[in-house]
Amino acid sequence: MQSQNSAAKKCLSKDQIAAAALCALPKIGPKRLMTLLKHHDPQTAWAVVQGRAKPNEVVSAMLRVEGLITLLRHRATQDLQDQIEQRCIRSGINITIFGDENYPRVLIADLAPPAVLFYFGDLSALDSRRVGMIGTRSATASGRYLASHIAHDLATNDVCVVSGLARGIDAWAHRGALRALESQEAGRLADRPASQEAGRPVGVVASGLDVVYPRENAQLWQDIAKQGALISESAPGSPPEAFRFPLRNRILAALSEVLVVVESRDTGGSMITVDEAQKRDVTVLAVPGSPRNVASNGTNQLIQQGCLPIIGAQDVLVALGLDNRRAPENFYDPRFRLSASDQQLISEMAGAPFTLDEFVIRSGLTTIDAAVSLGRLEALGWIVENSGWWEVIEVRQPLH
Amino acid sequence: MFASVRSATLLGVRGSRVDVEVHAGIGLPGFTVVGQPDEVCRESRDRVRAALLSSDLPWPTRRITVNLAPSGDRKSGACLDLAIAVGLLAAQGLLPVEILSQYAFIAELGLDGSLRPVRGATPLVLATIDRQTVVALENLGEASAATITQVFSAKTLFEVVECLSGRTEWRKEVSKKTSTYHSKFLRDLADVQGQPVARQALEISAAGSHHLLLVGPPGAGKTMLAERLVGLLPSLNDEQAISATMIHSSVQTEFLNSGLIRDAPYRAPHHSSSMVAMVGGGTALMRPGEISLASHGVLFLDELGEFAPSVLDALRQPLEQRVVHLARARTSVVMPAEFLLVAATNPCPCGEGTPGACTCDDAARARYLRRFSGPLLDRFDLRVAVSRPNTTDLISPIAGESTSVVAARVAKARSLAFSRFGGTNSMLTRQQLDSAAPLTRKAEELLRKELEAGHLTGRGYHRVRRVARTIADLNGAPQTIDETHLHLALLLRVDFASGLRTREMSF
Repeated sequence: MQSQNSAAKKCLSKDQIAAAALCALPKIGPKRLMTLLKHHDPQTAWAVVQGRAKPNEVVSAMLRVEGLITLLRHRATQDLQDQIEQRCIRSGINITIFGDENYPRVLIADLAPPAVLFYFGDLSALDSRRVGMIGTRSATASGRYLASHIAHDLATNDVCVVSGLARGIDAWAHRGALRALESQEAGRLADRPASQEAGRPVGVVASGLDVVYPRENAQLWQDIAKQGALISESAPGSPPEAFRFPLRNRILAALSEVLVVVESRDTGGSMITVDEAQKRDVTVLAVPGSPRNVASNGTNQLIQQGCLPIIGAQDVLVALGLDNRRAPENFYDPRFRLSASDQQLISEMAGAPFTLDEFVIRSGLTTIDAAVSLGRLEALGWIVENSGWWEVIEVRQPLH
Repeated sequence: MFASVRSATLLGVRGSRVDVEVHAGIGLPGFTVVGQPDEVCRESRDRVRAALLSSDLPWPTRRITVNLAPSGDRKSGACLDLAIAVGLLAAQGLLPVEILSQYAFIAELGLDGSLRPVRGATPLVLATIDRQTVVALENLGEASAATITQVFSAKTLFEVVECLSGRTEWRKEVSKKTSTYHSKFLRDLADVQGQPVARQALEISAAGSHHLLLVGPPGAGKTMLAERLVGLLPSLNDEQAISATMIHSSVQTEFLNSGLIRDAPYRAPHHSSSMVAMVGGGTALMRPGEISLASHGVLFLDELGEFAPSVLDALRQPLEQRVVHLARARTSVVMPAEFLLVAATNPCPCGEGTPGACTCDDAARARYLRRFSGPLLDRFDLRVAVSRPNTTDLISPIAGESTSVVAARVAKARSLAFSRFGGTNSMLTRQQLDSAAPLTRKAEELLRKELEAGHLTGRGYHRVRRVARTIADLNGAPQTIDETHLHLALLLRVDFASGLRTREMSF
């Protein structure tokens, strides 16, 4: 990774710098940028916005918008170009332009391909099968577990997990995928090589690559850049502005062969990604949840509309045509078996988050007995608590 | 001619003795008040003059100096009016000077010569406890309940003069006007449907004086619950009653003629309250703040997050020390602040606490939760998540217990705690905890695990043990604490800001 970065430092060409600077201009979205670069090479395009070169007919038609040319001339300074170059070099950001050799091939035939991509890591991560995993930022504990488990199992089967690195489902999907790489590495060290290479994670983010958002995922950014690839369409230094997220979602959908929605409210941003995926004929799979669970409203609605429901990584692999049902089952549950009464409590409370109040009422126990039961179940790993809410954890544990 | 008359003025929640010295001498007719009177005090000249003239008593045409001794302290309020008037009469020789040494006078004068009630009758009479005190009729009930010395009253200044000269009898009977309502029994716990845990938390809070934080979505009944907590507290004992009456009397504008305050006070200041309104101070009188007014009772802060951070931080020291020290350039006072803090808040700006249901954007949520972080949250022994009862109370066939039933259990647990170290369980020191709240082996193990897992801080460790002590007391286990009590104590300490942090989950 480090050596790759230093190599990248040397070979940032003038074209790449010009293209990067174009991305940083105001009022130049993906569409206009594409038009510019389709008709001019990056350096000429830069000269055009500076007013130093004559634009092509199409481009001049495009620029004929009230105030646009003045604005661009005002902003397209050498300073800006230097600044962007500095930022790229300092953070070791690589650039690929539509038409370049290493430009992701999946994007070439896309409806709205990004003209310029900034990336960390290695774009060859995208060469394996790709599954997008998305979901709400305020996920339930069950949702987070499930996301990381599905991602882990997919990565173990050499699938590249693509996600948006947001808080919640996105982050946990990536944590699961990284975990798979870790255990593969551990196996290799112990002279126990896995039958299959593990898929490398790919993150698609909305802000500039040197603007970590959300801050809490800083470690995750680094890990993904190191193990897989981190992609952004925004110029370095771009803040996480609201309009960038739907654009990011489009790239995420375009990169995915199959899109898995783990948890989403019916109005969530994940629904934008689902729309983009459906425009591109990408299969959308959804994880069903209890109708009482608000965080599953969106996914349940998708299933109602005909999306395939999935309950584990196996179903995703089938959708990819990677059927390994005959492979040995490598799961077991390390948790202690429950007593009959505890089992009944668990099945009673499973489905949606509950408070202590609800538990006392539904179980019919006294408050003290209820507290003791919850304490026991938590110690055994069957339930988790967060901010006063409890959830039953029902996923199987992968074997290490 | 010279006369000295005893009276008192108010500072904070205490009265301080004032000797009103009146000198009527030769010189140009005039009237000066010296000895640091405030504006109201200085205006007493006009009130006294009018009162004397309306009572057909003479206003001396001499040079009059009124000194309020000790002259170094600032005097405030109109409670010196009667003393000045009596002093003027004595200085003119219209009243025997020697008889005045048995009396103290605390009342405001009306222009028609009538005696008007004053704020702070209780602390004022307690400051003149070595004399027989004369107050306005409206203050008589409160004053005579507060002090062991004789308290007299009269309707007008003329009547006072008549009584002092022995021509009429003082009025001593208290007009029986019982207070119109008892806040205590107005709100019954039986109104609360379902919510067994929240009810239990109220009971524990009342039994051990543990500060309580209720976290829940709008409409979960947080305010309703908090209002019912005060009914669970026992009546005030004599000492507490006098202390509470002194505090309330020093701000009250309506008069506590029913005697001492016996019900635990309940104060619920709005979240726009200023720092001074909360902790006291402000005027030269050093008015007690809400925390003092809630002394021996409940201070309820609804929408805790909406209070100014400086106001909340100002609560920290009184919470620890149970008194508030206010210092100003001229004065410094100590006022009681021994209150039970109950606060309510939404889990986040949108109010939906359920995981996955929150629609707040991240920044807003983080900003909201940051307001509670750290030391203040740590001071709540009980932090309880309250959910909306609409589904649960349909399921629950159980009708709630009423206040009187729960209050009886609370009283029992409280007396158990008092018999140990003479205080409530929340007041147990770390040293006392080991002897007062011994743990069983299993309980010890559980606590060690929690500490090692990082769920508990050092401070939290002791707080959990105090709460467990109260839970054990309520459940008829006055000796050792076992793990069942601890489990509940741990569950009632929700770390509701933890949603912010990414919790490490094991695979």
